[in-house]
Amino acid sequence: MILEIKDLHTYYGASHILQSVDLVLDQGELVCLLGRNGVGKSTTLKSIIGLVPPRKGSVLFNGIQLAGLDPYRIARLGVGFVPEERRIFKGLTVLENLQIGIKKAHSQTDREPWNAETIFEMFTKLGERSLQKGGHLSGGEQQMLTVARTLMGNPELILVDEPTEGLAPLVADSVLKMLGTISDSGVTILMVEQNYKAALKLARGFYIMSKGQMVFHGTGEELVAAEKIRQKYLEV
Amino acid sequence: MARSHNPVSRFGLWAVFVILAVLPLILRGYQLRLVTEVIIFSLYAVSYNLLLGYAGLLSFGHAMFFGTGAFAVAILLEHFAGLPLLLAVTLATAFTTATGFVVGCLLLRVKGTPFALLTLAFNALFYAIAVKWSSLTGGDDGLIIDPPQLDLWLLTLDPNKGPDFYYLSLAILGPVILFCWYFTYTAMGRTVLLMRENEDRMRFLGYNTLLARLSLFTLTAGLAGLAGSIYSLFFAFVSIDAISIETTTTVLLMTFIGGTGHFAGPILGAGVFIYLQNFLSELTENWPLIMGVLFILMVLFTPGGLVGIIKGAAQWTASRRKTPDLRKGAKNRHAHSGS
Repeated sequence: MILEIKDLHTYYGASHILQSVDLVLDQGELVCLLGRNGVGKSTTLKSIIGLVPPRKGSVLFNGIQLAGLDPYRIARLGVGFVPEERRIFKGLTVLENLQIGIKKAHSQTDREPWNAETIFEMFTKLGERSLQKGGHLSGGEQQMLTVARTLMGNPELILVDEPTEGLAPLVADSVLKMLGTISDSGVTILMVEQNYKAALKLARGFYIMSKGQMVFHGTGEELVAAEKIRQKYLEV
Repeated sequence: MARSHNPVSRFGLWAVFVILAVLPLILRGYQLRLVTEVIIFSLYAVSYNLLLGYAGLLSFGHAMFFGTGAFAVAILLEHFAGLPLLLAVTLATAFTTATGFVVGCLLLRVKGTPFALLTLAFNALFYAIAVKWSSLTGGDDGLIIDPPQLDLWLLTLDPNKGPDFYYLSLAILGPVILFCWYFTYTAMGRTVLLMRENEDRMRFLGYNTLLARLSLFTLTAGLAGLAGSIYSLFFAFVSIDAISIETTTTVLLMTFIGGTGHFAGPILGAGVFIYLQNFLSELTENWPLIMGVLFILMVLFTPGGLVGIIKGAAQWTASRRKTPDLRKGAKNRHAHSGS
């Protein structure tokens, strides 16, 4: 078990967003967090990385308590975060954007540490544009760059917030494929996604959130079988 | 970002250096004193712009460090007869740096408007201390300094002589200003710049942004203290004006007039401010009124400052040169606006 969240409560000011969230991730898993808009999916990720510190509950990462730590400390422990809206540094080149993310390898696995070369080799599109300004990339390329920047920190766990949002279907596919490649290399991924059909091809485990709580946890097959739950919490 | 490797700017840097080196042969007396003043205030304004332009921290209290440096060197020279000039300046700068660290620890938990208001409050506190502790600071009377001669191996510099002091301040402050320029290209300088763009992003990428901000704040305090200490040596006198809110306003005006968007902006601003002040104060004693109107007009119509105007003019000429090839020019402009 790499991540264990128990009874997590997070507030935005007075509003109680996460109301006792529980979640478990095993080493090397790719798990998808589903749910409608505003149910607390992004807040769950931000609570883990510490950008929105939880008020109550526990977040254990490899046995270390993350709740209450500063984001930079959590990042240095080996948690990567890929925010929504492709937040890259537009004035920096692709290579510089990657260099910003360099951190010492934390991984206890035997995996080769990531660096700009291995990333450019694996994701050739970024390699071709390494000297271009980040702001001159397409939306899909910016998303790939955000993911790749996180890899430079050699994280054990990556939190990805809606990686395909606003991307054309073909581009969305290539971003998901990238996440699959990363997952295959042994990195654990927790991904928030609106489109569960796309995620079915990729993720092993699924969680569904509603009103700040988990309402479903199961495999892809179980999700497909649970028609009523899908109708109630996912489909319009 | 590769401005430093530009051969034109490197040539420009050497040209500036040569001009500054031979300036005392051309300018005499009062004119040379004005240039010296510009050099001193350039460092003060450059240090302020590291906070405002690079880190996005609006401070209304930079004078507390300028004043601390100014008073520290005066008090040191008064109480320790025979203290070498450079040692006094070093100690004053070190003391101001330490002060900046303590103040930074207290202030930097907050950002934005609360930070700006707290710096104002701290400046008022420092001012009150300088006024009330008159046995040390001379209160309203200020302190008169007799700057000691500076003995180097081959030559002796007399701070009371215009050209000597000019070279002294150039030799000390010039390299420090260059260091500030270099600093903006270091990892630390870049971190601060990227934090201004998006601090949360830097945090979840593993950067301790609080520590980075504190380091920068401490550095700029030390730089302002150094400028302040040279300032009181230059006038051989320091009064509570040095630590007052007017001295904060001065640096703010210099930085805004020059422009925060370029390293050279505050230097340009310091030059224009000091020459304008001298020119206007000869015309009327109500010169701050004219200065204020000019400042308001500049903020309203040229938010980028003088550097912004120069950049705009350069772009305009460049685009005019390209007019024969209209389509290409339009394409280029489009590409730039996209960044």
